[in-house]
Amino acid sequence: MSTLQATVAPSEPTQNLVETRGLAKKYGAGVLALQGLNLTIHRGEVYGLLGPNGAGKTTTLRLLTGLIKPSSGSATVAGGSPGSGQSLAHVGAMVETPAFWPYLSGRDNLRLLARYCRLPDRRVATVLAEVAMTEPADRAVGTYSTGMKQRLGVAAALLKDPALLILDEPTNGLDPQGIVEFRDLIKNIGQGERTVLLSSHLLSEVEQICTRVGVIRRGALVAEGTIDEIRGGSQLMIRAQPVDLARRVLEEAVGAENVTLRDGAFGLKVDMGQTASIAKLLVTAGVDLTELRPGERSLEDVFMELTGTEGGL
Amino acid sequence: MIIAAVRAEWFKLVRRRALWVTIGLMLVLAVGIEYLLVYVVATHPPARAAGAGVALAAAKNALYPASVIKKSVANVSSLIGIFALIVGVLAQGSEYSWGTVKTAWVQLPGRISIVVGQLTSLAILSLVMALALIAVDSLASFLIGTLDSQSSTWPSALDFLKGIGAAWLILYFLAVLGFGLATLFKQSAMAIGLGLAYVLVIENLVFSLLGNLGDPWNQIQQWFPISNAGYLQDSFGKVNSAVTVTIKSAAPASATHAVIVLGLWVIGIAVVSAGVVRVRDVN
Repeated sequence: MSTLQATVAPSEPTQNLVETRGLAKKYGAGVLALQGLNLTIHRGEVYGLLGPNGAGKTTTLRLLTGLIKPSSGSATVAGGSPGSGQSLAHVGAMVETPAFWPYLSGRDNLRLLARYCRLPDRRVATVLAEVAMTEPADRAVGTYSTGMKQRLGVAAALLKDPALLILDEPTNGLDPQGIVEFRDLIKNIGQGERTVLLSSHLLSEVEQICTRVGVIRRGALVAEGTIDEIRGGSQLMIRAQPVDLARRVLEEAVGAENVTLRDGAFGLKVDMGQTASIAKLLVTAGVDLTELRPGERSLEDVFMELTGTEGGL
Repeated sequence: MIIAAVRAEWFKLVRRRALWVTIGLMLVLAVGIEYLLVYVVATHPPARAAGAGVALAAAKNALYPASVIKKSVANVSSLIGIFALIVGVLAQGSEYSWGTVKTAWVQLPGRISIVVGQLTSLAILSLVMALALIAVDSLASFLIGTLDSQSSTWPSALDFLKGIGAAWLILYFLAVLGFGLATLFKQSAMAIGLGLAYVLVIENLVFSLLGNLGDPWNQIQQWFPISNAGYLQDSFGKVNSAVTVTIKSAAPASATHAVIVLGLWVIGIAVVSAGVVRVRDVN
């Protein structure tokens, strides 16, 4: 543990940095934002919380940082209950759009946060350099672009040199170049002992950054595992005409639950040894086969299946 | 952790230009209306003020150094105090409108320590306001006294201390009231509107009407804050001034009573604010 951490952290958190049991949150008017969430995040992993808009990602992060209280269930974050001193000592968080005091410069905003945590001002210069914000640091935050505010938000979250870093949709509002830079930044931050929990609806982002993923839908965790585990191995890719007839034949042959259709291409969760018989069935039924190949299921395919999202995310 | 929170809150407060502009306006108003305007009217009375010579002379007499403390304290709960209310509202209401409550509440000290830090910083700022008020009033009275060739007889050091203490307590109560309202409503506009209505109108109006019904209401009034601010001000002596806002105090209580009641109100509002902050969900 670094000297810095020793200043703010009286005790070392346990091996699992986040553990929730049956965590639920009901807002007024009976809106159930989260229902019975069981989540375990191990030390040192970069965990991606995936889900469509309104799935409960931000609610989960708010609960884990103590900004809101659960309606039922329990959570332990970095060895303490969410929002407790013991937990906050080890957690750096950026939940939703980072908010700063607009009349202060970026540097003074971080100096203010450093005072809250009894950290020396020299730590501010370190984190500003880490997120490449040294140059504009002395300008008032009110003049910052969205990307600069996002970077400052990450700098603020890093200030405590936390064991657990919580980032909510960190690339929101960034241009493509900013997203690439940010991705590299988070990869660097997530190296070593530090644990990162990030929420996103950008699948490519999660695929490239995260070591483990949880997919959340309507407030419940519907899948969890490494990217490979979530993808669930390979599948048979088929393009055929007419699509309706092909779909009927395929669903009868392997079961509707094993057939997906995206962008005019069927994906079949079947043993590759069945390829020849499936081709024969289609041709016999009068279907024109234009493409037949083994393919890897993308995270996007799995996400669509799990969350039932048909349109864009 | 509380010391860390106080340092952070003070760091934030003193760098906010809007607060210093508010305090500056308070001082300009104090000198401009209570001294300059009264001096001009008393020195060059308009023709229609014929017959008001004695009152004007008394009002002018109150501008000299001997009366500086009672004159400074006289309007603290109304004309001057509204600026303390605004400062209190801004200190908390802006945190909600900017969303910085979330930024602050995920830092180390925790919510209650942050509230303690905010209220302590407001206490220090209220003291700065009280000192600045009495300093500029003293300067104004000195200049007017010199202009009129009046002897510079000043109140005793103890009177100055008491005056600063009373002004601080009233200003701090009003700042805490503003803070509490902003906490409750999670915004500034509603807190300022309701705060001003209460300080300037509601309590006085209610007890002006109820006071006519008899003694029990006068007893009840003795436990309300604006009335007690009035009692505390009156304990320094009444001021003859054309612009003094009179607090209706049908049954004046002692200065000690007023200090205790105002102190209890400060503690009460602080505890309620801390309680609200502790349990509140921030979305």
